[in-house]
Amino acid sequence: MDGMESVLNVLPQRLRAAGWAATLPLVMLVCTVYWGLRPWTVTAVLLAGVITLLAPAVAAGLAAIALIGFASCAFALCWRASTLPPGSGTAAGYPLHALVFGSGAPHAVDLTAGLVMLAFGTWLVPRTVGAHSGLARRNAELVNRVRRLTMTRRHAVDTAAAELRRVERDLHDGAQARLIALGISLRATERLIRTDPDAAVALVAESRENSARALVELRALVAGINPPVLAERGLGDALRALALDAPVATRTEIHLPRRAPEPVEAAAYFAVAEALANAAKHAGARHAHIRATYSAGALRIEVTDDGVGGADPARGTGLRGVERRLATFDGVLAVSSPLGGPTIIVIEVPCALSSQKISSC
Amino acid sequence: MRVVIAEDLFLLREGLASLLKEHGFEIAGAVGDGPSLLRALIELRPDVAVVDVRLPPAHTDEGLRAALEARRQVPGLPVLILSTHVERLYARELLADQAGGVGYLLKDRVFTDEQFTDALRTVARGGTVMDPEVVAKLLARRASQSPVARLTDREREVLALIAEGRSNGAIAQRLVVSDKAVSKHCTSIFAKLDLPPSGDDNRRVLAVLAHLDS
Repeated sequence: MDGMESVLNVLPQRLRAAGWAATLPLVMLVCTVYWGLRPWTVTAVLLAGVITLLAPAVAAGLAAIALIGFASCAFALCWRASTLPPGSGTAAGYPLHALVFGSGAPHAVDLTAGLVMLAFGTWLVPRTVGAHSGLARRNAELVNRVRRLTMTRRHAVDTAAAELRRVERDLHDGAQARLIALGISLRATERLIRTDPDAAVALVAESRENSARALVELRALVAGINPPVLAERGLGDALRALALDAPVATRTEIHLPRRAPEPVEAAAYFAVAEALANAAKHAGARHAHIRATYSAGALRIEVTDDGVGGADPARGTGLRGVERRLATFDGVLAVSSPLGGPTIIVIEVPCALSSQKISSC
Repeated sequence: MRVVIAEDLFLLREGLASLLKEHGFEIAGAVGDGPSLLRALIELRPDVAVVDVRLPPAHTDEGLRAALEARRQVPGLPVLILSTHVERLYARELLADQAGGVGYLLKDRVFTDEQFTDALRTVARGGTVMDPEVVAKLLARRASQSPVARLTDREREVLALIAEGRSNGAIAQRLVVSDKAVSKHCTSIFAKLDLPPSGDDNRRVLAVLAHLDS
């Protein structure tokens, strides 16, 4: 049942892909009319149909060869006895014709059919070949695209799962544990408040300390998930805030007329954060520069630093992670970092900007 | 002292209101979104406002924007901004008009109510109060660069407290030293940073913040 269904699903697709190749059974049908209904012509037509469906490119090629064969056949017959040097058109066509019909005089029908076939073949061959190489190319592109999407989807799912695990663990070991401690010391306070007020006051102070620490931990956690300025102001101001907090003196040049989709903004933000962190940690840079623009349907951010260079996305996990995250949006990361610097990191993500204007830009 | 509170979470709004009432403040209004905050600030003209950065309707930075807009219309209108995170970018926007009467604190600071109400009174008087975390960010950035690098550890401590908006008396109390010792440190710090000495507390804070943020 499944097999049948899959054949039925694939069939229309195959027929469409067959396209020009369908010329082969057509040619065979013409042959049948020409030679009459005989077992071998019927077999040829059926065979042509099967080839067309299973291997359209082969069918197209065969059809082209058959057409050229016909044309040159007819031509050879017409011009055999004329002034053309021997062998000029005969080479391909005449032996074939002679094989089928035996030698004979040229006929007006042959001439007409030959000329029509020749014209049709000349018109058809480049198209058939073009259409099929186009189809093959498109097919290869699609196969690549599917492979790429499968890979980036797996990365995205893996990353999201790892991220959720991290958040869960942080909440479990951090805020949750502190709230439990808070509950316990509140209960103890409740017991002590009348009998030992001093101890109760100390416990209350401890509780307050615990809740303050829980807040600090939650803040760090939130910043790692979705940086607050990004949520409040969008990518432009988030990059400005990032530059202000960076350990390396960083200038910004931001031309983003409107907001990009949120997930793209977040991926771009963390890419820049990683680049700046590397500039400070590994490259020993003193200055960095962030340039963000949007043109030709793509967000483009360039981060340059004057450090010692030598950054390699193949070695560090940071830039590799950035690359994977960007790939989910068909974005790319390019790194130019010769030893001795400077390092230039460019990210480009195709996306549409929202229609909403940013007031602070 | 009349206060307007802008906070969208009911529990926090009520908590803030009761805390402030306990310390002798009068609640002139309590609002829960950006547009009504702007209206309240312009119409009620409170002595000081306590504003959460993130407010409805969009839950972005409506509170901050409303406060900045109100201060454009009423220069120097005292506003204390509260947030779950502090950003140098926002601090810079708040300080840009150099008018004073501005505070920017983490919500956590509400826990120590005296410190919080002191800050609120400073802002109401036209002073400037910055969260220690903002100041730490400013100092971290400049730590390796002159001229802050020329300060002694104690002087850097004093500098941080000045930047947070504390008076000499408060600094002396915090560091457990005499007022005289603090003012000696101040003179030395201002000389090393090449800032003009200033008797006015607020101008002193603004000068130090501007220096650190440059």
